[in-house]
Amino acid sequence: MKRQQPTLKAVFLCMCALLFAGSDLGQAQDGANNTVPGQLQSVHLVSPVPDGDWQLPAGDYANTRYDPLDQINTGNVKNLQVVDIVADGITRGHEGQPLVVNNTLYMVTPFPNNLLAFDLTKPNFPMRWKYEPHPNPVAKGVACCDWVNRGASYGDGKIVYATLDNNVVAVDANTGKQVWRTEVGDIHRGETTTMAAFIVKNVVMVGNSGGELGVRGKVTGLSLSDGHVMWTAYNTGPDNDCLIGPDFHPFYKKDQGQNLGVKTWPADAWKHGGGPVWGWISYDPELNLVFYGTGNPGPWNPDQRPGDNKWTCTVWARDPETGQAKWATQLVPHDAWDYDEIMENIPIDMNWDGKMRKLLLHPARNGFMLVMDRTTGELLSAEAFEPVNWASGYDLKTGLPQVDPAKRTHTGIYARQVCPSSTGGKEFVPSAFSPRTGMLYIPAHNTCMDHEAIQANYIVGTPYLGSSTTMFAGPGGYQGELIGWDVQHAKKVWSIKDDILPVYSGVLATGGDLVFYGTLEGWFRAVDAHTGKVLWQFKTGSGIVGDPITFRSPDGKQYVAIYSGVGGWMGAVAQPSISLDDPYAALGVTGAMGPIKTLTAPGDDLYIFALK
Amino acid sequence: MKKIVVLAAIIFASIAVACRQQQDPPAPPMSGLPDLGIPVGPVPGPRKPMTLPKDPYMGDPVATQEGRQLFVWFNCAGCHGTHGGGGMAPSLRDQDWLYGDDDAHIFASIAQGRGSGMPAWGTKIPEQQIWKLVAYIKSMRTKEEPDPPLVPPKPRVRTVRAK
Repeated sequence: MKRQQPTLKAVFLCMCALLFAGSDLGQAQDGANNTVPGQLQSVHLVSPVPDGDWQLPAGDYANTRYDPLDQINTGNVKNLQVVDIVADGITRGHEGQPLVVNNTLYMVTPFPNNLLAFDLTKPNFPMRWKYEPHPNPVAKGVACCDWVNRGASYGDGKIVYATLDNNVVAVDANTGKQVWRTEVGDIHRGETTTMAAFIVKNVVMVGNSGGELGVRGKVTGLSLSDGHVMWTAYNTGPDNDCLIGPDFHPFYKKDQGQNLGVKTWPADAWKHGGGPVWGWISYDPELNLVFYGTGNPGPWNPDQRPGDNKWTCTVWARDPETGQAKWATQLVPHDAWDYDEIMENIPIDMNWDGKMRKLLLHPARNGFMLVMDRTTGELLSAEAFEPVNWASGYDLKTGLPQVDPAKRTHTGIYARQVCPSSTGGKEFVPSAFSPRTGMLYIPAHNTCMDHEAIQANYIVGTPYLGSSTTMFAGPGGYQGELIGWDVQHAKKVWSIKDDILPVYSGVLATGGDLVFYGTLEGWFRAVDAHTGKVLWQFKTGSGIVGDPITFRSPDGKQYVAIYSGVGGWMGAVAQPSISLDDPYAALGVTGAMGPIKTLTAPGDDLYIFALK
Repeated sequence: MKKIVVLAAIIFASIAVACRQQQDPPAPPMSGLPDLGIPVGPVPGPRKPMTLPKDPYMGDPVATQEGRQLFVWFNCAGCHGTHGGGGMAPSLRDQDWLYGDDDAHIFASIAQGRGSGMPAWGTKIPEQQIWKLVAYIKSMRTKEEPDPPLVPPKPRVRTVRAK
């Protein structure tokens, strides 16, 4: 253990803070200050990390969710206490995370997607203003998995996010007045928007949700200045619609060919074939590429869509300004398990087999920790991080999973004991990477399922599902786990198991060598990043499905913030509107989530913590 | 017999509506669906006895089974849960009925749609099939429920542990 004394570190950090005071992500990008104190030699960060603020959903472009602040550290975290609790009066899952920009904290609520601004310069952080976009309530009826929103991005003086009814709104960060508003989807066709808008340069990117309602998945690029649509990149259909052109060079043969988004489907099935984008977008400023994954094909019944069903369950690399595709790697061809691969993709340069490589870390819903070369889309490694039996592994030469046919359902035939379940080895909840430890901190599930495909009828605006599914705890009996994963050696270093419930919160790693995460029961925890020892915990009012952030206030003090408020897909079983006597309810999660009804209850609050 | 009662109720209601039309401003056009006699909202004054039409298929096992098939066929299962336990839409298996638990109330909820996402199926699903759906929904949690939500017995299967 060669660690600096916390006091020395704090002094060093203060000096850094002075040096870079007033910088924001855009400026830092030019200055390219991508090193942090204590960073491993084997790691190169491709994006500047936050400096007191939290301006993007993951804090930085690379989705590391790492913040170098270290005032709160392993030595003093036991003195962490609540300094503020803010209720929003909503009882739906509070996913996502706040933003902190120029001494103001911004919170987006679940439907009705209000934006609240709090003044960090005044005691008890009073509200400065509230912006109400008034989305169409009909959107609630076509949202598959609770009425959630995963946050906003800041750019050019505006807070930008999307409402459940597919309106992207840009709000003046100072005044709370709407600057522009653009509708990018149709609730009457089953589209909703739940993901956090992501800003690169002058482009706002946002995808659609609705993989269970027969939507056609896509990402829309809008102008940050005035909201006009600059490009739309579909995930099914002809190459032109998918923005596949001469620059497109997929690594694997299976992903090469013309109009695969049409040819890998039965006639016209691609038109409502799913592949939505509702997770996270990341950006590598050095390669000028954005990365995101696409969701499951529709319907869930695979027999209704013979073929690879491109480009569902795929990772894309695209030029953010034109939307043009650079490469694509389909991770799950002809998905039969609802393995949405919308998980975070973390660009990081690391020593890999003796040389520095441009990696993309993708802890997959399908249970494998996938490491890719982000310049080409080549798979470099695929190791299971939770019990997996749908495939024995990946053939890195062909990029194909080695699927167990017995775990693939067909119409009227149950595939039994399939691991992981549709909810995945992990859900959309994002992991964090620390350049000080070289570890990825993965919020994971160990849930398996019995899964039967049934005939689905496409009726516009209603579920296009075709499945009867029930879930339960996997081998070992535990359901959730926070994993400290050594990226370079592709192995688990430590884990904190949850016997009863999956881990359904995002993760934050800090310069204080702390990892923060929450449990579905409502515990908010600080863990030693090296050992996984729980150093501090606090019981919030409801289950945690949000993502922790940290920031520095005008008085120089470090704070940590988290949403408490159970909901989402698995968490929705805590809602009174779901009955436990149907273990197939809520797309099958009810079977696995029974205990949640007595362990927590809905009700949203923002919690802010600081040292005593 | 039940059908006759229902028909009589419908005819009576239609005549009542027709009589009123002679004095009142023009009524909104009829939808073709039966007038179920459900008040639009709370009626001022003391509670009055109300006789609502009953589901002609109630207790008919064949019709209830058909209702189960229709529940899957029209994607009701996608929102309300494979066996009605809830999900995107509320559970139909609990004791809470947001819009009433009479046969006619459930019929009206399906036919007219409800706020927050319940589509209005009245123009898509024939009347008799809606009544069969009502019969299935009311059979939930009873011994008459077709295809109840039983967890299939689990065979022991070897699983691959993570490294």
